[in-house]
Amino acid sequence: MKFVEGIKADVTADIVYMMCPMHLLKLEEMMKTLEAGQVLQIMTDYDGALTDIPEWCEKTGNEFLGVEEAPDFYKFFIRKKGR
Amino acid sequence: MYSEKLMDHFTNPRNVGEIPEADGVGEEGNPTCGDVMKITIKVENGRIADAKFRTFGCGAAIAVSSMVTEMVKGKTLEEAMSITKEAVADALGGLPPQKMHCSNLGADALRLAIEDYKKKGAAK
Amino acid sequence: MGARYFDYMATNPLRPEVLEAMMPFFKERFGNPLSLYELGQNAKTALEEARSRVAQLVGAKPQEIIFTSSGAEANNFAIRGLASAQAKKGRHIIVSKMEHHSVLNPARALEKEGFAVTYLPVDKHGLVDPGALESAITRETSLVSVIHASPEVGTIEPVRELAAIARKNGVLFHTDAVASAGYLPIDVEALGVDAVSISAHEFYGPKGAGALYLKGGTRILPLIYGGIQENGRRAGTENIPAIAGMGKAAELTRAELPERAGKLTQLRDRLISGVLEKIENVHLTGPAIGQGAEQRLPGHASFCVEFIEGEAMLLMLAAKGIYAASGSACSSKALKASPVLLSMGVSAQLAQGSIVFSLGMENTVEDIEYALGEFPAVVRRLREISPYAGGWGKVKETDQCIPKN
Repeated sequence: MKFVEGIKADVTADIVYMMCPMHLLKLEEMMKTLEAGQVLQIMTDYDGALTDIPEWCEKTGNEFLGVEEAPDFYKFFIRKKGR
Repeated sequence: MYSEKLMDHFTNPRNVGEIPEADGVGEEGNPTCGDVMKITIKVENGRIADAKFRTFGCGAAIAVSSMVTEMVKGKTLEEAMSITKEAVADALGGLPPQKMHCSNLGADALRLAIEDYKKKGAAK
Repeated sequence: MGARYFDYMATNPLRPEVLEAMMPFFKERFGNPLSLYELGQNAKTALEEARSRVAQLVGAKPQEIIFTSSGAEANNFAIRGLASAQAKKGRHIIVSKMEHHSVLNPARALEKEGFAVTYLPVDKHGLVDPGALESAITRETSLVSVIHASPEVGTIEPVRELAAIARKNGVLFHTDAVASAGYLPIDVEALGVDAVSISAHEFYGPKGAGALYLKGGTRILPLIYGGIQENGRRAGTENIPAIAGMGKAAELTRAELPERAGKLTQLRDRLISGVLEKIENVHLTGPAIGQGAEQRLPGHASFCVEFIEGEAMLLMLAAKGIYAASGSACSSKALKASPVLLSMGVSAQLAQGSIVFSLGMENTVEDIEYALGEFPAVVRRLREISPYAGGWGKVKETDQCIPKN
């Protein structure tokens, strides 16, 4: 897992305590609102996201920038692919 | 929730009131907690000639008081003392579990009235 | 003779329009909103329409409404879910002594789990003092919950003022508006609250549908884990018929609120002044009427009658076709006097004489006159039976009330 620190996101979605698979549904929904090159931050406490989100990025061709740990949740950073 | 018999004794309670110069007075309960029953009795030749009640309380408490005063009339003191809460509840066609303490209160107030009569007799 | 219903705080009858709005979802439109085909998507559309209507009733955005099975679930969800979600911030919550069991008991459950809970006292009208809230908040406090209006005594709490104090201190504020949503306008923005509980059957909707308004961006721990329903916050296939009914009931309520409040205030005032006039030794519980700023729910008339007991009153009234409620110990399943009345300083024996008439749109002036005709006779009859008709005398106050069985 790629751990990062201090990445600035353009858009943030807080889905802490929302149940699986909200992390994937929200991810898809939010990515549609981003412009190419922008960075999305997703905050979630769901451990499964550690595998799901990088996988989703690989499948869709978006860039997985990494994950940052907060005291009781994770922050995932994803850059939307260019055209 | 209540039997027909109980509702009858609640809507048309028998023996409401207080016997003036009663031979025995029994009061049990506390209005802070719920029910209070006051039973007064008249004793003639070792038998309960009359009984009356006043009650502060729920429908079951009023019906129990009415039934207890009915049940004791004509009974000897010993017979009256042996009236149990179950007997009162049965006579009313049963009580819901959370109201069983009402029949207990009725039996207790009656016992207190009889003991009061005996005490007064001893003092004489 | 039909019964005259004065127990709208217990539940309301369903409006015919509401039933009509529900029927298709029991029958041909039975789909699951998660299904992708048309039948499912129809249900999804109905769900989201209902969400918009409920949101409009409280001045919220649709995505801020989470449907629940009841007002009690919404209250449990708010107290447990918000306190747990913020446990890292602090483990202290504040509730008032006016709260419904569905707020008090989850608060007590949290206490067992190690949270600290402060129970805010109230004055003789049941009002929470904003100053008391201010001084109860500590650095550990994460949540305050104060009821919007009391179903027992009709008191409308100063929620806007209380919520402002919470917000100033960075503390979340929840209000239980189950008893008020059908009678008072609720605007979450104007009130400045973070969470609000409501229940459909308290405003002519069906039983089995409630909702929690939760301000956007607020974290909450689910009560019911499972799938993605309600944005991953409350699992379980949605009760679409009830939710559709709640939506319709919310729409009707929003449109009719001023008319309802006007009518019910008039009926209430007639009932209250009639009872106080016709019966001696009776006390209005909760705020007085006709004093400038309204502090009492429209349609809410609650009393304590001296020297007699509430359950006995209810039974005699029911025999006359009058349905009301009581907070007396004997009328409760737990045999405990209403904690709300006791916390307002009502003595335990007086609380035994509690009686509550809560009015609704089906009530008429004639109903009120009928009640005013019968109620004094019931009181008179029970006082004839009571040993206290001449006064309480000296009553030993005790808290040792263990019924002997």
